[in-house]
Order: sequence, then C-alpha cells, then structure tokens
Amino acid sequence: MTRAFLDDVSAERLAALQEQNLELSRLVAELRNEAALRTQFLSNISHDLRTPLTAIITHGEILRDGILGELTSRQKDSVGGIIGGGRQLLDMIGEILTYARGVAHQLTLTRTEFSIDSAIEQVCALNESLIAKKKLELTVTIEPSLPALYADRDKISHILGNLLGNAIDFTLPDGRVWIRCSRGASTERGHVLRFEVGDTGIGIAPEHHDLVFREFAQVDASASRQHHGTGLGLAIARKFVELHDGRLWVESMLGQGSRFFFTIPVRSAP
Amino acid sequence: MLPHILLVEDNALVIGALRLLLEETGHRVSDASTIASAARVLRDDPPDLVLLDLTLGGEDGLSLMNSVDATSGVRPIVVALTGHDDSETFARCTAAGCRAVLVKPIAPMKLKGQIAEWLAERTVV
Repeated sequence: MTRAFLDDVSAERLAALQEQNLELSRLVAELRNEAALRTQFLSNISHDLRTPLTAIITHGEILRDGILGELTSRQKDSVGGIIGGGRQLLDMIGEILTYARGVAHQLTLTRTEFSIDSAIEQVCALNESLIAKKKLELTVTIEPSLPALYADRDKISHILGNLLGNAIDFTLPDGRVWIRCSRGASTERGHVLRFEVGDTGIGIAPEHHDLVFREFAQVDASASRQHHGTGLGLAIARKFVELHDGRLWVESMLGQGSRFFFTIPVRSAP
Repeated sequence: MLPHILLVEDNALVIGALRLLLEETGHRVSDASTIASAARVLRDDPPDLVLLDLTLGGEDGLSLMNSVDATSGVRPIVVALTGHDDSETFARCTAAGCRAVLVKPIAPMKLKGQIAEWLAERTVV
C-alpha cells in the first residue's frame, strides 16, 4: 500500500467520523428538545386541569362554610365529598407533573439552611386531623443538637409528608406512627442525618420491598383502592432523596408494620 | 363604601367562584383577564386590594407591578395567587412587592379573614 493511499483512507474515515459526530449531536439536541416539549406539554395540561378544579373546590367550600346560607349536615357531607375528591385530584396532578419533571431530569434543588425540627413540626401539623380521625398515636423523636440542614426544604418536607401520609393510610385505627431523626453513621463524604418514618400498619412482604419504589406500582390492590394514590409517591420521594445524594429504603414484614429510612448528607451553607 | 378588590385572573370559572365569595363577604369586585385591562382598572378605578394570578395566558402576572406602583393615591395591597406551592415562587413574588402569596384553591374563610386584616393594615397606614 502506498503512503498516498493510506492518507486517502484516513481522510475518508476522519470525514465519516466527523459526519457521524454531527449526526449524534443533532440527535442529542433533538431528544433534549423533545424532552423539554414533553415537560412543557405536561405543565400546560397540569395548569389546564388545575384551574377548573380550583373553581369546583372553591364553590364547594363557599357552600360548606355557609357563606351562601347554612347547609344541613347531610348537605355538608355531600359537599365535603366534592371538595375531598377535588383536592385528591389536585394532589394527583401535582404528583404526575413532578414525576414527569424527574424523568426529564428537570428537577433541581433550591438549598437553604433550616432546622429539621421546624420541618418535621410542619409536616406533623399538616397531618394532625388525619391522625386524630384514625385515632393514631404519633410520636416524634429528634436527637438533641442536630446540625442545621443545608438542603431543599420543600423537597425534604415532601419526602416526610409522603412517608407519614403512607404510614397513616396503611395503619389501622388505634395504631402507632412515628418519626425519628438522628445522626447517621459518618461516611468518607461526611456526616448524614438519618430519618425514620414508621408505623404499626399492614406491613410489606420482603419480596415487595423493591416494588413499592417502582412507578405506578402498589402492592395490594385493596389497600391501593383505599389509598387513592397515583403510585408515584415513593418513586418521587426516592428521586428527591437521591437528588440530595441520600438513600431511601424500607424495612418491613407483612403484618408487622413498616419502617422507611432515608439519609440526607449534612452540607455547610456556602 | 365597600372595599374595592381587583381580581386579575384569566379563567372565567375561577373569576366566578372568587367573585361570588368576595361579593358575598362585603366587597366590590372588578375583574381583569389581561395585564392591559388590569392596568386600566388601576388607573381609572384604583382598588384597595389586588388579587393577582401569576399565570395570565402567556403573560407574567407580576408584570402588573409597575402599574401598581404608578397608581395615584394609596398603593393597593397586592396578593399573588398561584398553583405552585414552592419557595422559588414565594421569593419571586415577595421580591416583586406582593404582600402575600396564596396557593389556589384558597380556603374561603381564610381568605375572608386575611383580606379583612390586610385592609385594616392599609387603613392604619
């Protein structure tokens, strides 16, 4: 083979590789664009669904609160059903949108420094009426002098709210639910806070532990009928934990309650 | 004279629900579904309080704040209405000069109580 022939082959290969490179860059840009369009579409749909629901719920609450005149107790129950259904749909739309953003890698963290006590207190207050309705006992144990977290407070509250909500949903009346927060074992990357949300509820068989974190999955159809979820709650919670470089897992046996754990690395504010 | 509330919102169903609530609880209500029409109300019939939706079709509700600042007489109190319960939205609204941010759907009795408080604040000022 002559030198000229080899040069020709190299030039040809180089040109082909450059062309392939261009084609790949174009495909990547196209996929990114498609993902952005899909998220935008879901965001628009979500807004369009939320708006009429907002009107339905507000009308229902105007009636329930007696602003247009007192209702009988049966009328109040009926209007309460409209409001409850509407609020459940709103939550589900919110979950679907959050999940879509996660799939499109469009979830980001807005970190601020906050005390974990206040975040846990807020989540407990939001669930107070549900806990009272089911006559559950809630205990909160927070190790003294924990460092402040530099994390996304909304997302940490969402994780805790989701886990506590599940604990309440899947625990029979007169049961116990709890939240614990303590220093976790230090790793080479520093300290972590370790959270536990537990209950004395129906529990999860070990072979289903992975399934509960999968999208659209619910282990027990009868339980899911009562739970009314999208099947996205734990998948979103895990995504939020992983965005913080933490880990979320479950320890549970069927009929013996569940304990969900997650860790959040402690970072200092810049 | 009844307190005047300007409701800036682009969905007729939501306007209907909030107008009913506000009128039944003793307020005079104007509504506007675009920034331009809201700015006209601010100029011609200044309200005591503005309930401002952040998403108005393709427009950013907060772009009304310039017209609010230019209102003759006492500056109306502006309260943002949003479907997004996140700290970023709260920070953006507060920085733009909103008195508060309410996440829709707003509980009627809570809104009634808060409006009374905001209007009382404005009278004192």
